[in-house]
Amino acid sequence: MEEYFLICRDSPEGIFTGIYEAYAMRRPHDSIHIQVGEEENLRLFAVYRHVEPDREKSLRVSATLERRLGAEAYIEICCALAAQDGEKGEAVYKTVVCGFKRKDGRQVMGDLSNPYVHKVFELARSVKNEAHHWKEFLRFQELEGGMLFSKIGPKNNVLTFLMPHFSDRLPLLNFMIYDENRNLFAVHPASGEWYLVSDMQVREERFQTYSGDETKYQELFRHFCKTIAIKERKNLKLQRNMLPLWFQEYMVEFGE
Amino acid sequence: MVQLKVTEEQGIMEKLGILTDAAKYDVACTSSGVDRRGDGTGMGNTLAAGICHSFGTDGRCISLLKILFTNECIYDCKYCINRKSNDVPRASFTPDEVCTLTMEFYKRNYIEGLFLSSGILYHPDFTMELIYQTVYKLRQECRFQGYVHVKAIPGADPALIQKTGFLADRMSVNLELPTAESLCRLAPNKHRKNILAPMRQIQNGIHANKNELTLYRSAPRFVAAGQSTQMIVGATPENDFQIMSVAENLYRKFELKRVFYSAFVKVNEDKELPALAEGPPLLREHRLYQADWLLRFYGFTADELLSEKRPNFNIMLDPKADWALRHLELFPVEINRADYQMLLRIPGIGVKSAQRIVRARKNGALRFEDLKKIGVVLKRALYFITCGGRMMYNTKVEEDYITRNLLNVEEKLPFDKDGMTYRQLSLFDDMKVTMPPRQEDLPKTVLGQI
Repeated sequence: MEEYFLICRDSPEGIFTGIYEAYAMRRPHDSIHIQVGEEENLRLFAVYRHVEPDREKSLRVSATLERRLGAEAYIEICCALAAQDGEKGEAVYKTVVCGFKRKDGRQVMGDLSNPYVHKVFELARSVKNEAHHWKEFLRFQELEGGMLFSKIGPKNNVLTFLMPHFSDRLPLLNFMIYDENRNLFAVHPASGEWYLVSDMQVREERFQTYSGDETKYQELFRHFCKTIAIKERKNLKLQRNMLPLWFQEYMVEFGE
Repeated sequence: MVQLKVTEEQGIMEKLGILTDAAKYDVACTSSGVDRRGDGTGMGNTLAAGICHSFGTDGRCISLLKILFTNECIYDCKYCINRKSNDVPRASFTPDEVCTLTMEFYKRNYIEGLFLSSGILYHPDFTMELIYQTVYKLRQECRFQGYVHVKAIPGADPALIQKTGFLADRMSVNLELPTAESLCRLAPNKHRKNILAPMRQIQNGIHANKNELTLYRSAPRFVAAGQSTQMIVGATPENDFQIMSVAENLYRKFELKRVFYSAFVKVNEDKELPALAEGPPLLREHRLYQADWLLRFYGFTADELLSEKRPNFNIMLDPKADWALRHLELFPVEINRADYQMLLRIPGIGVKSAQRIVRARKNGALRFEDLKKIGVVLKRALYFITCGGRMMYNTKVEEDYITRNLLNVEEKLPFDKDGMTYRQLSLFDDMKVTMPPRQEDLPKTVLGQI
């Protein structure tokens, strides 16, 4: 039997469009696969098709998913789609197939013995964990003019999960989070709605001129972190377990 | 309104140093228990799960700006670094300084909120009033909506505690020591009665507030994240059973959210204090926390875990495994049929994996592979469970045998096993005795002679 590979753009829109096209083909789902990004390792007897993201189709898919699988599973799927993983498209597609076959699609995420569902569960968990870590460890620096700026280097695309949190927290402030791995900016104007900007060309120096008080508070916090530790309980291994080293380069208290 | 005389000589950096150093022995640094979105007029929100913003070199989480308002104190508690008779640098913040620090740290995402405790300056009422003023300013003038944890000062006017409770998310009164006798011996100025009174007051306040909230949804909330307490472990001769029973009572009768245990760190020389040559009793503290979790989330009671005859926890095994080994008549448990409460009691299965099992087995019988995916720690659980009537390997359900095997599974402890030098000897083990290479060894290594 012929196998079909749908090659989709790496975005929720792209993958949802892929799922739409897969259903539109009306073939057994075992023979259709969704691949994210570029084709690699071409197979014999397989048909490759590029799928262009289509807003209309992806919206229809997302509405159907939310209706049939419930909000909980839908959010889980959205989280999984933010993961940095080549197989996420296939896992989500097959999870959707599995959910639609069930009498009650809302229970689909409970079926952890299904390998695709398990994959989605794992991806979603890793994205949620990373997003939570950045909520903890991200640091803002106050720039000249009062805007807060933060640079992060996340493994998964977590910016969209961070912004609602910080917008709720700092509604009256201008702030910006920069994902250096994806060259993506999330901007929150004071008392406004946040938005994403991609591929903006900005000079790095603009983010290195601090406001007058910034260094003072960085030093105060560094001093605080140093003092709060009890030396009789010193335990660097535990510190590293709780706060992996790769976060530390983004944190002011580990600077200098 | 009370006023504080301010000494201007100390800079903010120095004050922060002194008052952080003085506050660091307080363990409660959680920011959990309440979900509150910002209302758009100020700064801050809170998450029920809490957020840790950093970790100190001791591996403890830094979630709140944990400081004392002042480390001046009229009391002379023998275990405390700030006791009256100690000659340590003293400092006091002003409410404005605390507010500025909190706001500036908070907006940079350094902290989740403020933890404000204090030494007793002049009188409990005076101190409580200062704390109240500070939190009032923070909430009303700075419009801070993040997490605030304050201490209720034992002996302070109940009206002040009540007022403060409407501004704070969490309040705590420290029990300090597990029994009244110990308290009497080490903290002669404190009385058990004075500690329990504000605890009861806060409990009643929370109840009254719940009723109010059902009537008026927008009524102000009183200590929304509940109250907590802490006690020092290892400074006095109480055994684990006594400590767990006290904790259980606090959870049941005072409805506390958390009881914290703090391994005693000896900061003062006093004839009443134990010597503690091996440093703070960290392993004991760890076991107490494990048992505390069993009380709160696993449906255990203190007298199931310990008894008058066995008053202390096993240092080799965690309390749950220890319990299971003493109740082998209940095992093995069939994963596909056991109820949730029983699943929780199996070593190697936690709250999350138990919930996932209950959910996943609706889709069909679970196998051992599935359990692994779900997150069950099979190398611990395998002695206690069956899947579809079979055990994973051919194992005996026998106390000695299982104990031996469980001990072979290295327990993940958050610290090196200090004060407990159990270790399997092996031929290839150098026991960390190393000699640095001498100068003349270096050419030999190059030539392959060593």
